[in-house]
Amino acid sequence: MNRKPRHSFKQCFSKVLESLPFLTPLLVFLVILYGMLGWTLYVSMANWVGTAPNYEFAGLRWYQMMFRLDRFRVDMSNNVKWLALGVFPTVILALFLAYMLEIGSVKQIEGYVRTLILYPVAMSFVVTGTIWSWMYQPDKGVLNTILRALGLSELVGRYTTHPAAATYWLILIFIWQYLGFAVIILQSSFRTTELQEMVEAAIVDGASKLRILFSVIVPNIRGGILILVSLLLISALKVFDIVYVVTFGGPGYSTDVLALFMFIATFQQHLVALGAGLGMIIFIMALVIVIPYTIYAFRKWFE
Amino acid sequence: MRTRDLSTKLIILLATLVLTGVYVLPIYVMVVTSLKIPVEISQRAYLIPTRNLQFQNYAEAFRLVYPSLINSSIISFVVTILAAFFGGLSGYYLSRSRSAFVRVLFILVGVALYLPYQVILIPLVQFMAKTRMALTHAGLIVSYLILNVPLASVLMGTFFLSIPRELEEAAQVDGANRLQLFFRVVSPVSLPAYASTAIIVFTQVWNEFLLALTLSTPATTTIQVKLAEVKGSFVALYNIQMASALIGVLIPLSFFLLLGRYFIRGVLAGALKG
Repeated sequence: MNRKPRHSFKQCFSKVLESLPFLTPLLVFLVILYGMLGWTLYVSMANWVGTAPNYEFAGLRWYQMMFRLDRFRVDMSNNVKWLALGVFPTVILALFLAYMLEIGSVKQIEGYVRTLILYPVAMSFVVTGTIWSWMYQPDKGVLNTILRALGLSELVGRYTTHPAAATYWLILIFIWQYLGFAVIILQSSFRTTELQEMVEAAIVDGASKLRILFSVIVPNIRGGILILVSLLLISALKVFDIVYVVTFGGPGYSTDVLALFMFIATFQQHLVALGAGLGMIIFIMALVIVIPYTIYAFRKWFE
Repeated sequence: MRTRDLSTKLIILLATLVLTGVYVLPIYVMVVTSLKIPVEISQRAYLIPTRNLQFQNYAEAFRLVYPSLINSSIISFVVTILAAFFGGLSGYYLSRSRSAFVRVLFILVGVALYLPYQVILIPLVQFMAKTRMALTHAGLIVSYLILNVPLASVLMGTFFLSIPRELEEAAQVDGANRLQLFFRVVSPVSLPAYASTAIIVFTQVWNEFLLALTLSTPATTTIQVKLAEVKGSFVALYNIQMASALIGVLIPLSFFLLLGRYFIRGVLAGALKG
């Protein structure tokens, strides 16, 4: 009776010992990460203004102040625009493109289109932002030049210098950059044997191509779509570089997003407690996005 | 599911043409602009390639970004190698153990994987300033490892899940322990997985901007920070901006073009498709 628990303790110990070389580096970085997350939470409830740390407890004072800021409201509404318009058009567009590549009969076209739309994935937002600033430049920029050359002067736009429309033009850059990424993820979801068989059967039954896409394919790749939507949502939430490089939140703060405001509040205005609070808001949004992804990944991993 | 339908083919052709326009135009503009003199640009004649190619634009851009290219290379290569190594180790354990501890760990990793840097930025900057690590490359290297080790673990683990266990079982019968299994049996057949993970981590680190912007000092300025600075301080010199940007994308873009297969496999592993 006495021996058994001791034996299992020993087993347990040897298991821990066995896992140490594998897991120690990961554990170290996770501890740092979650420790710093806790620290950010603490700072957000402190009274830290200026460059020197101040940990005097201030409760929710800075959060209350944050919620009253007009800039915070603009940021939230811009972030919602980014999440909705950066993600859903991309997914729909990618769905059609991936389907098109699958049913298209020319193998060469598929390889060409894939490389063509995927290369921006290798580029940074700083670079894409630099290029698109030049495309959008209202006075001398590329798009307006083309429009003028085509005799379509009435279509000439102000793009990112127009306060009400600027965010949408920024989101367009994001869609441009992530379309290829979305297409290859969806394409790989199409390629399961069961799905291929179902599609063949639907073709035999004489279903139209659109019908096959929406009644056969989409319901059967929900997992792939969930992952894709989560990855795109989190990327849209993270967007900082595009806004920083192209408009720096302007005109005024019409294109500002939480990620940029957090940076400005902390490192330029030195309202560190406010910056930490903004960081926590970003964390909560990220968590909401990442939880379905994590649950799905968990089930798939340990199935 | 291939089609022979003519109208579908026409739509595909049309879509291909539109995509070509949308995705080639920015690159075309970038290359053409980078080879001009400012006068040509201000004369609004920038869509037509110039006869008078200004390769010295590249020389000037290269002089500007050269130190930051070196910094970014050091930081990205070190982070890539360490993240792939650590990620391989922990990814292997995560993919083989089903204990309660590993399940909890997996959830913690899953949440950490895609967290925005903003949530740890304040303590991180403070820590790096206090330990003076921010003055050397080590500051950015450690910072990038915090999020890239969990990422590499999941990528590597996804690949390891798809490796048949028979291989390890055979070696286990011969008395190999876990570490031997990992280094002698699993890792050698997983070199493509390491390549995919490495490309993804490298691209991420090379292209990262927020941390680099807040943590880099004059001695550790990375390429993205430099490019943003060039864009800000050479406002009207679009030729220099474009030449620097092209130099800045050269390394990740050539990885993508030469090792595209691994790149795509890495992206798919990020979507949990091993």
